[in-house]
Amino acid sequence: MNKLAQKYLRPSQIPTKACHGCGIGMIENWLLQAIDELGLKQEDVIFGTGIGCVGRQTFATWGGDNFGATHGRALAIATGLKLAQPDKKYLIVVGDGDAASIGTSHLIHAARRNLGVTVICEDNMGYESTGGQFSPTTPAGYVTNSSPYGMVEPSFDPCDIVKAAGGTFVAESTATQWHQSVKLVKKALQNDGFSFVHIRFPCNENFGAYALGTRDTLKNLEWIYEHTQGRKADGSETDFTWETGIRHDASNSRPEFSKLLRDMNTRVQAKRA
Amino acid sequence: MSTVTTPIDEHLVAPWVDWQGRLTKGKRHLEAGTYALTEGAIAAGCRCFAGYPITPATDIAEFMSKLLPQVCGYYLQAEDELAGMHMCAGASLGGLKAMTATSGPGYTLMHDAYGWAITNEIPVVVVDAMRVGPISGITGAPGQGEFYVARYCTHGGNIETIVLSPSSVQEAFWLTIDAFNLAERFRTVVTILTDQVVSDMWEDLFIPDDYASLEGDIVVPRRHNLMMPFYPVNDASLDVPPNVIGHGTGVCVSAYTHTEEGYDIESMEAQWAQTYRLINKIRHHRDELTRYEAVGLDDAEVIAVAYGANARTVKTGVLEARRRGVKAGFLRLITLWPFPDELFARDARYLVCELNYDGQLVREVMRAAPEKRRVHFMGKSAELHTVAEVVQALDGLARRGQIPELPYIWTEVR
Repeated sequence: MNKLAQKYLRPSQIPTKACHGCGIGMIENWLLQAIDELGLKQEDVIFGTGIGCVGRQTFATWGGDNFGATHGRALAIATGLKLAQPDKKYLIVVGDGDAASIGTSHLIHAARRNLGVTVICEDNMGYESTGGQFSPTTPAGYVTNSSPYGMVEPSFDPCDIVKAAGGTFVAESTATQWHQSVKLVKKALQNDGFSFVHIRFPCNENFGAYALGTRDTLKNLEWIYEHTQGRKADGSETDFTWETGIRHDASNSRPEFSKLLRDMNTRVQAKRA
Repeated sequence: MSTVTTPIDEHLVAPWVDWQGRLTKGKRHLEAGTYALTEGAIAAGCRCFAGYPITPATDIAEFMSKLLPQVCGYYLQAEDELAGMHMCAGASLGGLKAMTATSGPGYTLMHDAYGWAITNEIPVVVVDAMRVGPISGITGAPGQGEFYVARYCTHGGNIETIVLSPSSVQEAFWLTIDAFNLAERFRTVVTILTDQVVSDMWEDLFIPDDYASLEGDIVVPRRHNLMMPFYPVNDASLDVPPNVIGHGTGVCVSAYTHTEEGYDIESMEAQWAQTYRLINKIRHHRDELTRYEAVGLDDAEVIAVAYGANARTVKTGVLEARRRGVKAGFLRLITLWPFPDELFARDARYLVCELNYDGQLVREVMRAAPEKRRVHFMGKSAELHTVAEVVQALDGLARRGQIPELPYIWTEVR
C-alpha cells in the first residue's frame, strides 16, 4: 500500500475488486493526492458513490464517512446531507451511468443550485459492470454489447450540461493525464460551490475489448491519449477530439446553495424578532 | 325495531390519548389536515422537508416552506419525488429529522429511496395523501389504493414496514409526532397513509404551546450512534440511535447487503443477519405499534372495519345501525402495517369498507379473521361511503348474511 492509501483509505477494503488494468484505483490515488496537497484530513471529507464499476470499486475505501447511493441518486442524497453538515467537503465519485444517464436530472439541478460538492465523473464510456453496453458518453458509432452494429445514438458531453446548468467549476481530463487531473481536482475542491471533473478512463474488459478490439491496458490508454491530442501515433487525425483542461471556472463567484438557505433563515428570524 | 340503551364500549388505543390529557395549554385553530400534518412534523422536530408539489399534498410543501425557515429548518423543492425522498434520507443521515409528502403518482417514484432508507435504518417520515387512481386518476377525489403499496414500498423483500393512518385533522397532528417517534425508535421509514379528504378538510385543531418542552417527554429526540456496530446483526433491539454522517465515525451507508461496519458484502450469512434485524426489530415489538379505535365490540355480531376519512362515515353508520337494534361494532385501524391480526380474533362477521373496487384491506382481514367467508367487502371509489349505505349493509348482514345490492358499491373480491 502506498503512503497516501495508508493515510486516507481503509486497509481492509483495498485493493478493490476491480478488473486487471482498470483505471479506477489509479484515479482514486490521484484524488488522494489532491486531498493531501490541500491538507484535508479524513474527517473533513465525506465520500459519496453511486452504482456500477465506479461506485462498487470506490465505496467504503475512504477512511472517513462513506455513502453509496442508489443508482444515480448520490447528488440527491448529498443535497440533504449538505444542509445537515455544511462544513464538510463532499467528494462524489460516480460513473457515466450515474452522472450522464440515470441521474442526470440531479446533476443538472445540483449544478443549478450551486450545491457545494465536487463531483468526479469517472467515465468508462459504457455500462461495464453489466457487461459492456453503450451509455450516453459512448462515442457514436462504436461497437458495444448493446450496439453490435455501432451505437446509433449521438453521445453528449456531461461537462456541457453542467456548465449550461450553472456549475461553477467544470473540467475535463483523462486517465492519461496524472498531473493535470490532480490540479483540476484541487481547484474543484477549492470552489465553494458545484464542481464537476470529468475523467475518462479505459475499460479493458468490455469497452476496450469490443469497441477498440483489445484488452491491452496500454493500447486502450493510448487510444484515449490520442483523442486528447486529435492525432494518432502515425500522425493521422483521430475521428474526434476531447478538449481537456478547465472548461469553465467561475469558482466562488456565486453563493453556495446551503449558505443561501442559511442566510434566508437568518433573514426570516431577524424579521420575526 | 328496538332501541339499544346499554352504554357502548368505545375506546381509542394510541399514545396521544395520554398526550391530549397532559397538553392543555395551546391554541385552537380551524385548519386543514395538511396544516396539522405540517405542524405535527415541526412539533416533532422535523427540520428538513424535501418534496415535489402534488395535489392533495401540495399544501404541506407550502406550509413547510413558510414554517421551516422560522425554526432554522430547510425546505427543499426537489426536481422530482425520487430526489425528494433521497434528499430526506441524506438530511436525516446528517442529523436532521426529515419528512416528505406526496400522493400516489409521486409515491411510486419513491420506492428506490424507501429501500435505501429502510436498509440503512435511516429515520424518515413519508406522507402519502391518497387520491383515486390508477395513476393521476382524479386529483381531487379520495382513494385508498396504496394499502399494499405502502407495505411493499420497495423491491427485494426482506423488510417489515410501519404504516399509520389518521382520520381527522386533530389526529393527523398527534399521529405525525407519533410517526417521527417511531421512525427514531425503530430506525426506519414510517409512512403516514392519509387521503384527499383528511388532507383537504378543515376542522377544529388544538395545537399545544411551546414545542421545545415536548422534547424528551413526548417527542423522541434525535440521538447519534457514534460507534460500532453501525448495523447490529441478528439483533432486534429497539432504540438503537441512528447512524450519522459527518461526525467522523467512519460509518458506511450503501445500497448493498452490509456488514456491521456497513461494508458491502456478498455473503448469504450477512444477508440473513441483516434481514433478521430489518424484519424482527419491527415484528418483535408489535405491541409498541398498536393503535386503533373500537366501538361496541363486546356484543357485536357484525363489525365494520375502516381507516382514514372513510372511517368517519362508517362509524356514524355503525352507531345508527346500533340505534336500530343491529348488533354492530366498529373497528378503525390506525396502524395498518404491521397488520394487527390480533384485532380480528372475535368470531363475528366483518364488513370491510374501503375506497377502492379491487379490495385491498379486505384481503388482510380475510387472512386474519376466524372465517374467511364471513368477511364481506364494501368497496367504493372516489367518494366516501354514506351513512345510509353502511346501515343498509350492516342490516343486511345481520339479517340475511349478505349485503343488499347497492349502486356504485362493489362487494366481489375474488
